[in-house]
Amino acid sequence: MHVIPQLIVSTLLLGGIYALIAVGLTLIFGVMRVVNFAHGEFLMLAMYVAFWAFSLLHFDPYLTLVVSLPLFFAAGWASYRVVMRPVIHASHNVQIFTTVGLSIALQNLALVLWTADARFVRTDYYAVVVRIGGAAFNVAQIVAFVVAVGFTAGLFAFMRWSYTGKVMRATAQDRQASALMGIDTDRVYAVTWAVGIVCVGAAGVLLAPIYPVYPTAGLQFVLIAYVAVVLGGLGDMVGALIAALVVAAVEVIGSYVIGTAWKEVLYLLLFIGILVVRPAGLFGQRGAEALGT
Amino acid sequence: MSAIAPAVVFFAVAGLAPLVVRDAFLLDSLVLILIWGTSAAAWNVAGGYAGQISLGHSAFFGLGAYAAALFGARWELSPWLGLAVGAVVATAIGLVIGYLSNRLRGPYFVLATIAFSQVLLIVGSRWRGFTAGSEGIPVPFRPGFWTLGIADKRVWVWIVLGLAVLAYLVQLYLERARRGYQLAAVREDEDAALSLGVPARRLKVAAICVSAALTAACGALWAQYIGFVDPFYVFSVDLSVKFALAAIIGGLGTALGPFLGSALVTTVETYLRAQFGGIGAGLVGIYLIVYGCALIVMVRWVPQGLVGWIGDRLRRRAVARVAP
Repeated sequence: MHVIPQLIVSTLLLGGIYALIAVGLTLIFGVMRVVNFAHGEFLMLAMYVAFWAFSLLHFDPYLTLVVSLPLFFAAGWASYRVVMRPVIHASHNVQIFTTVGLSIALQNLALVLWTADARFVRTDYYAVVVRIGGAAFNVAQIVAFVVAVGFTAGLFAFMRWSYTGKVMRATAQDRQASALMGIDTDRVYAVTWAVGIVCVGAAGVLLAPIYPVYPTAGLQFVLIAYVAVVLGGLGDMVGALIAALVVAAVEVIGSYVIGTAWKEVLYLLLFIGILVVRPAGLFGQRGAEALGT
Repeated sequence: MSAIAPAVVFFAVAGLAPLVVRDAFLLDSLVLILIWGTSAAAWNVAGGYAGQISLGHSAFFGLGAYAAALFGARWELSPWLGLAVGAVVATAIGLVIGYLSNRLRGPYFVLATIAFSQVLLIVGSRWRGFTAGSEGIPVPFRPGFWTLGIADKRVWVWIVLGLAVLAYLVQLYLERARRGYQLAAVREDEDAALSLGVPARRLKVAAICVSAALTAACGALWAQYIGFVDPFYVFSVDLSVKFALAAIIGGLGTALGPFLGSALVTTVETYLRAQFGGIGAGLVGIYLIVYGCALIVMVRWVPQGLVGWIGDRLRRRAVARVAP
């Protein structure tokens, strides 16, 4: 069976990118207790950044990646300040509708500015395929995977060892206690939101050479990220990483066995199944879903 | 508890307008305001009164639309029958979602409802043999009331008005009856309500089922009125947000709010589409940017909605008149 190695490789490559999207989402949820329904729109905007940098400035997407990280951080910080900060202590419903509103506004801003046409970043190495053993790799996919894994590992290290990371984890554990300890929680939220946007922005730039970009391009990826994040337990970064691989495996094997047309149904049913059977996720704390926190 | 008088005026104006107005554009707007208002009212039963925020209500709307279209186009049966079947199927799915609402809260529940509508979107757009796939279904025009082939928009106003009044009465029941008070208690504090012996779970499921059935009925009438069902529209998250938006702008958990919200949202949408629709296809999105910003602004500054805001104003004026 020469299919097996290909399936494994495809799963890993896909899972790496999904992980980067999911990790940003789960970080924001873990620290801020906000589900960012506009996460997919930030992904889409980052893909457009890569596209415009490529077609106007002839920037290679990987150069764009390095250059645009501060831009994504600034965009994340600004969107926190303007949109999220006033509702950070509001009820869940208010927060949900705020991010949903942001999502609709951003998506249609892209539609108005750049129309609904699907656009491609056609690099020179677009169709270059590397063959190792029985498996074929697309170069862009490999780069995306390597960078995504490096990025995710960097984020883990940042959360574990840096002072800011520790402060973020402390705030995630108990926002009141950390405020009493003299932590500026407002700043922590701003940093968290911005770091989450940087993650999804990086994922967007990495995806640009592989997938076409259009205003609703974010939805398909963010749905997968939601599945991964819930599967891993909302707020659990290691869980999200493993779950992203699980979802990628379901997608890859599903596409192989029953065809690409129905693969989305598979992971959506997996999602609903998880919510019914074990809503706190594979590694999450039981009961978290019933508290809505 | 809101007064009935404004609602009586609203529905009376809507019902009498076709006798005076002959302009097809105005009548068309009125039909759409009533359809979207009723959908928003149906959403309000679950989202406003029961506090179960769903962003997957397009699932029910699409089910109703497909049921009516398939009964008419495929089996040549009455779309009324389709409406009934759509409502029953929606109720069944409402049971499942209601069950989920007892296990999941806040963002988890929202994600589950989105997943549901996405599953139906994929089924609707990929199951070519049954639903005609992503091309959508044109609904044949067969003249007659039983086949809902009605060219006269005035008749449409009255048909849709009937459903609108029904949705209003359901909401009024929730405001005035014992069950409604119990549901409000569940929304505000489920544990406290449970400890007082309120059947919280059953009430939530019932509210979601009623909401689902009403939404499906709206979808069925809409499909017959518009004459075409597109899976990417009727099952979209945008449509679910539209229901929620109209209810939030009008006033969450108020009976007349969704209709006022729909009047505002639909008018703004029609105006912006007419204004920018012709220049470039992309500019159509402008009304959705307005939607998104309106949503952010409303939940932050006017969470009580138009009805609540006007109510506050009137009360304050009444107090001011008495005080000096």
